[in-house]
Amino acid sequence: MSALAEKLMVTPVDETSGYDTIHELGQQRLMQYGFPDMKTEEWKYTPLRVLEKRAFQDPIEATTALPSWPVDGVVLHFEQGVLTSDPATLPEGVKLSPISPDLLGKKDYDPLYGQREGAFGWLNLAKFKQAWHLEITGDQTVILATTLSKAFEAQVHPRLLIDVAANASLKLIEDQRDQGQGLINIACEINVAEAARVEHVICRQNAESVWIQRTDVDVAKDADYRVSAFDRGGRLTRHDLNVHIKGAGANGEIDGLVLLNDRQHVDWHTEIAHCVGHTNSREAFRFLADGSGVGVLNGRIHIHPDSDDSHSDLNTANLLLSDDARINIKPELEIYSEEVTASHGATIGQLDEGSLFYMRSRGLTEAEGLALLKFGFAAEPMMQIQTPEIREWVLGQLKEVL
Amino acid sequence: MLKIKDLHVSVDEQEILKGLSLEVGEGELHAVMGPNGSGKSTLGYTLAGRDDYEVTSGSIEFDGEDLVEMEPDERAAAGVFLAFQYPVEIPGVNNAYFLRAALNAQRKARGEEEVDGVNFLKMVRESLAELEMDESLLKRAVNEGFSGGEKKRNEIVQMAVLQPKLAILDETDSGLDIDALKLVADGINRLRDGKRSFVVITHYQRLLDYLTPDKVHVLSGGRIVESGGPELAHRLESEGYGHLERASA
Repeated sequence: MSALAEKLMVTPVDETSGYDTIHELGQQRLMQYGFPDMKTEEWKYTPLRVLEKRAFQDPIEATTALPSWPVDGVVLHFEQGVLTSDPATLPEGVKLSPISPDLLGKKDYDPLYGQREGAFGWLNLAKFKQAWHLEITGDQTVILATTLSKAFEAQVHPRLLIDVAANASLKLIEDQRDQGQGLINIACEINVAEAARVEHVICRQNAESVWIQRTDVDVAKDADYRVSAFDRGGRLTRHDLNVHIKGAGANGEIDGLVLLNDRQHVDWHTEIAHCVGHTNSREAFRFLADGSGVGVLNGRIHIHPDSDDSHSDLNTANLLLSDDARINIKPELEIYSEEVTASHGATIGQLDEGSLFYMRSRGLTEAEGLALLKFGFAAEPMMQIQTPEIREWVLGQLKEVL
Repeated sequence: MLKIKDLHVSVDEQEILKGLSLEVGEGELHAVMGPNGSGKSTLGYTLAGRDDYEVTSGSIEFDGEDLVEMEPDERAAAGVFLAFQYPVEIPGVNNAYFLRAALNAQRKARGEEEVDGVNFLKMVRESLAELEMDESLLKRAVNEGFSGGEKKRNEIVQMAVLQPKLAILDETDSGLDIDALKLVADGINRLRDGKRSFVVITHYQRLLDYLTPDKVHVLSGGRIVESGGPELAHRLESEGYGHLERASA
């Protein structure tokens, strides 16, 4: 076993929880495959050195004050990976309960997590303390607030399964704020049932913690899943976002914006899989890298066999704002059906001097012009957020940072 | 208002302006005409302070101040406005937001109170109506997807809102049909108040039919080679620039 695996596996899990079989499975796979290294294609640009060097402590009690949100909804607060809200007081249409071990045991995780590349998925299965099942019916707004306090130096592995019932509608805000220096390794599965709609907004502000997350979304017939991620960077972040479109008439969309600065490394691996035909998808992702920030985007579109009449477009435009910043972009198209349209475009550039001069000639200072230019570039993917209040909230945060 | 003396300007180490001198008094409108490559746009960019336009010798005095030493935004706040020959598209930046930010940045630099949203909209709506531009342009990104004519008219809207002391119009007439040309000329004439000065850079005489310049200058080979009244523009229109180019060669 590697040193990293030894370090992360050292704390024993609670075997009285009923999840022992699934924990064992995770542990067994992790020991079999190990953690990714630079030779693992999916992790080539994201070394785990920060994690290897770090010592983890036991979680200590802490509370972080929550901000306010632009929409009313059910707030589920996870402090250091542990739910602090009371699941008994939720309104009709929002049900939260521990995931039944049977339900977890039924799922085949091998095709989902694979081998070494999915090590953190296996680690989560091996080590999660709480696994919650959120069930949504009707028209709901849910805010998942995940906070890590300044004192956070532990490793936590929260697990969440969200079932959005047929014809239901969910606005889901994941508000993630880190001030600590531990490891959070989230595994989240979302099932969007037939004709359901999900508007998912992820806002993350990561400090020194290593933030690993995977979000696996299944989209059923005629359902609509749209996610917008506003990632303000962090010491080391890796998010695997997989959208599997599994029913005809379904639509999946990903919009992403990542801001990077000194000593920050953010890696997004996205996959949109068209598992059947008569399906649509779209993805637009932008990175703005300043200082010594490093960004990675691996955007994969996978159109399975017998998926005719699938349509997909992946577009990524990126800005390098300093000489030391780096952005690694890899669009991947894997197409096994004939009658499909799939396109991709990727650009990496710098701010346009001509535009900056135009702005300055109108009276804006260099700093004001730069901020406005960056804002204009960065705002575009966030303009896709459907709910105006949420869109303005995100754009407001963006304005504040730039 | 504007005194340019023996101005030499290089771009990428190639000298473009080679001893240009020009004086524009308060309230005057001067036309600068000349063939392609004579340095007309270089004059505009140099006055606005573009980085890569290096003043190697000579001086530019504006309102008693040394313009060369000023940053582009300081020049704007002091009252210099350049209407671009090719207005820049800025995706993602709302046209109204941009113009209000520019106006307030200038006012702030001058120690004046900022204009609130309501008053700003009133100002900009008036200018839009005068230039027969649709208000929906305000909500779009700066110049993005605008037609050539809309871009030029948008420059005039900006000028009307920013109220500069000196406006340099760099081939604002190019690419305009006759109706748009008249709208743009009317927009310029409305701003002629006996105090504001204009340098109108143009290739053709047709804009001058509507503007009545106080003086017309001919720029060739990086220098003003001839100056005169409006009749000079007519002469150039019939004779062309050929003889000047031959003379300066």
